[in-house]
Amino acid sequence: MSANRDVNRIVRSWLRTDEHESADAVLQLVLSRLDTTPQRRSWWPTWRSNRMNTYAKLLAAAAAVLVVAVVGYQFLPRAGGPGGQPTIAPSPSPALLARGTFTATVGSGYTVVLDATGADSSVSGSMVVSQGTKGYTVDLECTRTIDGLLWIGGDVTQSTDSNLPAGTRAAIVLLRGSPVEAIFAWQGTDPPSASCEAFIDDMAAATGDIQAGMEPITGTLELAP
Amino acid sequence: MPSPWRGMETDLVILAQHGDKGAFGLIAARIADRFLAVSRRILRDIDLAEDATQQALLAIWQDLPGLRDPARFDAWSYRLLVRACYAEGRKERRWAPNLRLLSEGEPLAKDDLSSVADREQLERGFRRLTIDHRTVVVLYHYLDLPLDEIAEALDIPVGTAHSRLHHAMRGLRAALESDARSTEREAAL
Repeated sequence: MSANRDVNRIVRSWLRTDEHESADAVLQLVLSRLDTTPQRRSWWPTWRSNRMNTYAKLLAAAAAVLVVAVVGYQFLPRAGGPGGQPTIAPSPSPALLARGTFTATVGSGYTVVLDATGADSSVSGSMVVSQGTKGYTVDLECTRTIDGLLWIGGDVTQSTDSNLPAGTRAAIVLLRGSPVEAIFAWQGTDPPSASCEAFIDDMAAATGDIQAGMEPITGTLELAP
Repeated sequence: MPSPWRGMETDLVILAQHGDKGAFGLIAARIADRFLAVSRRILRDIDLAEDATQQALLAIWQDLPGLRDPARFDAWSYRLLVRACYAEGRKERRWAPNLRLLSEGEPLAKDDLSSVADREQLERGFRRLTIDHRTVVVLYHYLDLPLDEIAEALDIPVGTAHSRLHHAMRGLRAALESDARSTEREAAL
């Protein structure tokens, strides 16, 4: 043991011998090359920490309560019996596509409030994605099912996330199962695709094995059959 | 030598992830000297070390958007540096044994860590190690990283990191003892 300690001591002393090593020249070279060295786009958002802060938890909880309240209201008995107000035949409502409040556990988790109805290029609804003080809202417009994955996308209308400014396009990609798996895709500030459908097609073509990056969600999500 | 990447630095990492060149410049300025020191110790060549440092810094800039947890920046960045060292190491096999001999009549002073003899012995012994073994030795004995962080940085099991360190140190010890015996024999003649 003593001999081992001696060797450790000798090696440490040798490695820590003072040698003036300045990387200034390397640093200048690297910084001068940043403008011509694009960052590689990832297909999932980056994450601040593994924990949501208290404010974000409150927001998520409030959003969940709001969704429950709205859904619950739909099931309240309507006054329409004798002496009550006349009922009005409801117009056919668009078909549910995806609806729920959940945490996408990609990375450390984004809270998602998703409400989408319709099909193909006639999707309506919104997706609100938040984590901490960052978040964005997507006005949903279209959907595609590609290789078993359900893509729902649209325009970012409000954002506090510099990675997805308003005016860009974003989508959530869902894989049916128990639990459902999810990942996000966005076009950032690249030139936009011609349409929402073209955006999804472009993303699907560019991402390759996107399924490898998907993670299970926690929460509730109802999907069209 | 504690890691400089804890706490508030995560904000810089996040800014750089989003393309903030100023934030990346601050990060690079903080780590460049350390990267050069580590790569020089692994590669034993200042030119290769500068190339590895440059490669690693550019790789960090390019791949930062894919770093899922900015709090893991230090281990992740060391991984990129080690990859760059491997790439430079493959480029030129400059770590072939250096067979420079000790001068005759220079007995080995075993306890004198600053002696030229010790440095020569260690240099020779270290150059005989594989780059895998050198890397673990440098991360452990120079950066003072614990084995679990070394394993994370190298993307290997902790047991493998421990094994590499053990074999590397055994090799260095053998080199020191072998040279010591040779020198003693030469001194006795």
